[in-house]
Amino acid sequence: MSSEAAVRTRSPWVLLALAWVVPGLGHYLLGRRRTGLAFAAIVVVTFLAGISFQGRLYSVEPGQPLTILATFAVYGSGILNVAARLFSDNPGGAILSPTYEYGCAYLLTAGLMNLLLVLDTWDIATGKKR
Amino acid sequence: MIAIIPVDHFLIMTLYAVLVSAFFALLWREDRRERWKLFGTLMASLVLGGLAVAWLMYPFPR
Repeated sequence: MSSEAAVRTRSPWVLLALAWVVPGLGHYLLGRRRTGLAFAAIVVVTFLAGISFQGRLYSVEPGQPLTILATFAVYGSGILNVAARLFSDNPGGAILSPTYEYGCAYLLTAGLMNLLLVLDTWDIATGKKR
Repeated sequence: MIAIIPVDHFLIMTLYAVLVSAFFALLWREDRRERWKLFGTLMASLVLGGLAVAWLMYPFPR
């Protein structure tokens, strides 16, 4: 399906939501299939590396305003974040692990990457970007 | 994955640079050649920048 056809048949809001839930799906549905699959692979590998490095899936903590931003970033990963919280033994990460900080950076980056993909999907779907 | 990737600062940093460079090359460029060019630029900037910062921090271990 071409980009123009996708715009005609799907609401940009639906694409926005799908792009957030599943990394790369927005681009895939807009006809950029190889790019969408590549984006999905990059975000998934980044997120899984973050989990493997025992990073933290942030939640908002009272008195810690920066955790609001971190939580927003981690929730950007969509279904990956939800699945990891459901199935992870230790969503808070292992702060004593030598790779903890790396894990946090990878998890935050994966979420922020997907949020950029959501915005890019919106721009393509609304014709702001070719 | 932690068993596959050894706990090596340089390796973890390089993997991060590969992923971030590939992401932005795909996001910001459409042409294949331009993508490789941006990937190389970002990759070199991140890895060499990281090494430069590490070198500058070497006299200050704590």
